[in-house]
Amino acid sequence: MIARYALLGLLPVVAVAALSQRRRLAAIIGMGLFSILLAVVYLLLHAPDVALTEATIGVALVAAIYVLAIRRTGRLTVVADEAPRLLSREGDRIVGLEHEILEGFARHLGLDLSIQFVPYRDVADLVSRGEADIGAGGLVPDENVGGLVTKAYLETALFTLGSTPTPAASVPPAVHYEGYFDDLDPEAIYRSTDPVTLDLARFLAVRRSDAPVDSIVRHPKQSGYAFLTSGRRRSLHADLEAYLDGLRDSGRLDRLIRRFLG
Amino acid sequence: MKRRPFHAAVIGAAVCLAVLVLLAFHSAPPEYAPHTTFVERPVEETGATNRVASVYLNYRLYDSILEILVFFVAVLGVRYYLGRRERAALPSLAESEVVRTSAALLFPLALLLGVYLAALGHLSPGGGFGAGVIMASGLLLTSIAVGIESIERRLRRAALERIERAVLLVLLTMMLLPLLFGSAPFTDLLPKGRPGTVLSGGSILLYNVLIAAKVLVGSWLVLGSFVRHRGEI
Repeated sequence: MIARYALLGLLPVVAVAALSQRRRLAAIIGMGLFSILLAVVYLLLHAPDVALTEATIGVALVAAIYVLAIRRTGRLTVVADEAPRLLSREGDRIVGLEHEILEGFARHLGLDLSIQFVPYRDVADLVSRGEADIGAGGLVPDENVGGLVTKAYLETALFTLGSTPTPAASVPPAVHYEGYFDDLDPEAIYRSTDPVTLDLARFLAVRRSDAPVDSIVRHPKQSGYAFLTSGRRRSLHADLEAYLDGLRDSGRLDRLIRRFLG
Repeated sequence: MKRRPFHAAVIGAAVCLAVLVLLAFHSAPPEYAPHTTFVERPVEETGATNRVASVYLNYRLYDSILEILVFFVAVLGVRYYLGRRERAALPSLAESEVVRTSAALLFPLALLLGVYLAALGHLSPGGGFGAGVIMASGLLLTSIAVGIESIERRLRRAALERIERAVLLVLLTMMLLPLLFGSAPFTDLLPKGRPGTVLSGGSILLYNVLIAAKVLVGSWLVLGSFVRHRGEI
């Protein structure tokens, strides 16, 4: 009897606790807890069949469907190409300037950040198809990228590298490249005569790797790193712009830039 | 595209049968018993020691068939709307070894519990619906362990949809069958058996097993669609 009333009293407490969770996964876990307690109450009321149904539906089926539903909506999915110092892997961790910005933005929205590394050329396509919320990783978007681009958070420059092909035997192992170049074949710079255009961050990494580059042409056009959102996600775009403005105004962006690139 | 007429025919047949069930019920309403008899008499009348099961799968079977139809329509809706979306293109996230191993360990337990609840639903708390959901959750856990692709190779969606519809037709036919023998629909014509044994309770055991199969397949179709199109496992 006392147990039943104690559980009944606990139910609204758990319900309010579940509703007031900021993280959605925590809210779902709270809902599952509520269902379990309710099932125990049913059991104490001599209704084992109802208790069983409540436990299986409330905890297993509904929670599973909710978890599946929030796996994309409860997280901020970012697709990115690795860019040294901006967004790159360091062992199991992801570090860099963009990581700090995106992590703060996700926390600001109450979402979990999920970064997936994809080839550079796929970033815009995945974002425009709605598979990911934000495209990042040292993006230097041009006008016809197809999507909403934020104001540049950092200036950069584009360099076109040209080289004479080197015989395959003298190509040094790709290990020099630190895994930064998912998008372009690391040996392409050695083998091909086609010029390759790189942004400043990737350009510096190539320079550090002793690639035999014959000509370097700096593009005169002003360019900058920015984030990309789908054309249909206007509110997300506006949120991100506002967040970046806030970072800029408070001087935090400058501090971050100095920390990662200074 | 080619199979669309077949699907339409099956759905049409199911709807017609459902209408028939409702008409049959309308023409021969079951005897309304005062609620005390549900508590006092069911063991002799239905052969099932679980009185809840004897109510919802015998006296009030027509309530249950409507619930089954609601579930069927819900699964159909999910399949229809998600079937038109392209599947997610992002690579799936790998779960940790701990999660995958414990998920694989739980699957046989879920299956065993599901079979137990369905097979003994007329004797003790349980029943087809809970059993089906538990087994589908077990399948979901397995898809965490081995990946959704590996499960889909073994359980093809088209085959599952056919099974689900076939089970629904069998259920509806079972409920209407007594008409052929001159009884009101939903009457239980099978022998009642000795109460307390597995083979007792007339058709309740059969209904529980069929509902468990239908709910297992239906829930898996819904969960599998969600995994494929929205999230990832």
